[in-house]
Amino acid sequence: MDLERRNNVTIVGDGPATLVFSHGFGCDQTMWSYLYQHFTGQFRVVMYDLVGAGQSDLTAYSREKYSSLAGYAHDLVEIIDRYARGPVILVGHSVSAMIGALADRLLPERIAAHIMVGPSPCYIDSGDYVGGFKLEDIHSLLDTLDSNYLGWSSTMAPVIMGAPGQPGLSAELTNSFCRTEPEIAKQFARVTFMSDNRQDVAGLLTPTLILQSTEDLIAPVAVGEYLHAILPDSTFCLVPNVGHCPHMSAPGACTEAMDTFLQPWVGEHVR
Amino acid sequence: MSVEHPPLPDAEALFEDAPCGLIVSREDGTILRANRIFCTWIGRSVSELLGLRFQSLLTVGGRIFHQTHWAPLMQMQGSVAEVKLDLLHRDGHVVTMLLNGVRREHAGGAYNELALFGTTDRDAYERELLAARKNAEELLWEKTAAESALQQLKSELSIAYEKSQRRALFAEQMVAIASHDLKNPLTAIRMACDFLARSERNVKDTQLLRHINQSSERAQRMIADLLDLALARVGRGIAISRSSLDLHKIVGQSISELRVTFPQARVEHRIKGAGTAELDADRVQQIIGNLIANSVAYGDLQHPITVMSEVDSGMITISVHNEGPPIPDSLIDNLFEPMTRGSVKDEHLRSVGLGLFIVREIAVAHGGHVAVTSGTATGTTFLVSIPTIESAADTVD
Repeated sequence: MDLERRNNVTIVGDGPATLVFSHGFGCDQTMWSYLYQHFTGQFRVVMYDLVGAGQSDLTAYSREKYSSLAGYAHDLVEIIDRYARGPVILVGHSVSAMIGALADRLLPERIAAHIMVGPSPCYIDSGDYVGGFKLEDIHSLLDTLDSNYLGWSSTMAPVIMGAPGQPGLSAELTNSFCRTEPEIAKQFARVTFMSDNRQDVAGLLTPTLILQSTEDLIAPVAVGEYLHAILPDSTFCLVPNVGHCPHMSAPGACTEAMDTFLQPWVGEHVR
Repeated sequence: MSVEHPPLPDAEALFEDAPCGLIVSREDGTILRANRIFCTWIGRSVSELLGLRFQSLLTVGGRIFHQTHWAPLMQMQGSVAEVKLDLLHRDGHVVTMLLNGVRREHAGGAYNELALFGTTDRDAYERELLAARKNAEELLWEKTAAESALQQLKSELSIAYEKSQRRALFAEQMVAIASHDLKNPLTAIRMACDFLARSERNVKDTQLLRHINQSSERAQRMIADLLDLALARVGRGIAISRSSLDLHKIVGQSISELRVTFPQARVEHRIKGAGTAELDADRVQQIIGNLIANSVAYGDLQHPITVMSEVDSGMITISVHNEGPPIPDSLIDNLFEPMTRGSVKDEHLRSVGLGLFIVREIAVAHGGHVAVTSGTATGTTFLVSIPTIESAADTVD
């Protein structure tokens, strides 16, 4: 299995420990653009696309394997085995935070720490737990994905207007990093938003930094606090940000919190 | 001559009355300006909209989509195009719009400038296309599934066929082995009996030798019947080899031999028409033998057994009639099935119960059939009907 091709693996920077960046539902590794360069001086940085997203090998997509997050966790384990050197810190956005937790369960002791950006162990309300969504909301999302079917399908790539003030943006980025084969997008949406990982993540002893936006529709503050409560060695950091992507819209606040958290793995502290 | 043009609308009028919805928001979606057309489309006043986040006007699915897809796109590439969104009208109904957006940097930060177009009819059309595509895919899937099921059945059929071929071969081998290994010792026993009978014997010895001889004959008949069953049921059917013969003569010969075998019975032979026919002579004799043996076993031997042979207008018929008690209704339906037996008066006449089955199989192998009528007044008649070769050919044509 050619992992590099399957997951479009990118490796930059060097250091005694490895940061593995795993993107969330919707886009691909390009969303780490505002963040990763800050760390390449001190860390080996590994970024990849989940199978089905971005520039991953679509022929590797299997409806059976990726019918649950376990399939993605298995891929992450393989990537860690192959590309990580030294202590591994997983940086997972959104659903990838849970994929990281599942990978930790598969590879006990191998993962030194987690940085969870906008994580949620369960999106749908159940009993006393408030995830923020109801089942019909997820159906509404699937419907929205469906209605953008033509827009996202490869044969009708949307024409992008000139983006004033952003001449540096390379042409191949145009919409593509958030464009997914519609059927895959729908299955991934279903798997992401229907999954309940509260049991998997509860009691995970690995040190964890939770980066929680002050206002996030997809992962509300209460969900971040819930996660903080069930993770014994977790640090909760509230980032002033509106939206689900603080690593894009508030990268400064994110790197600041991450620097502090990553101290034990920087330079001379690592044997 | 110069023409007076009316004054062009100013920027403000262009913004407010543009033929599309226009919105300026902060990066977090907070609406700073919205034009009149947009307000009309979603049934809200400008003052209501200002300060709201644009995403709060969307359906929940649209909000997630905004967060996971087009907000990152706006940030990364500075624009989005042709994003379809469902907005909520003030009265609750959904308005489908197509969105183009640009992120424009200014000294103090960036604004999102959005243009929206109503696309309700096109949306309906696209959904129809999607539904048609889904339908086509389902049909294709069903077709593929049906084809693979058919393929599966074909391969099962071919396996079953191979299996049956192997069983047929085995049955034929068994027939060959049995005919050799069982017939030969019986023939030897009968020859020894004949040899012993030539010398002077006392009454008891003569009686014993007759028993041995009769029993051997019976055993030979049973073996022949069993072999025919094996061929008919598991093999390739009872084989016949037709030749031109005189039916009356063949039937007559059989009857002569059977008179010796069954001295207790009187057998009469009646003939009708010329006897020329294309039949398997040995099998005809087998029919006569089995039917007469049946009459001897179950009929009233105070009355003669009447055999009639006839070739007439395309049909060969052989009938065997006996008087006596009728065949019980409980037996008559399955009379020609193997192992069907009535109650026999004389234990020596008991057979394996294959005689009538073999009669039917021989008739069928000749393209004909066998029927039975039985009643107290009329007695019992078995009627074998076989179309002549010529008439069978006509029927096929």
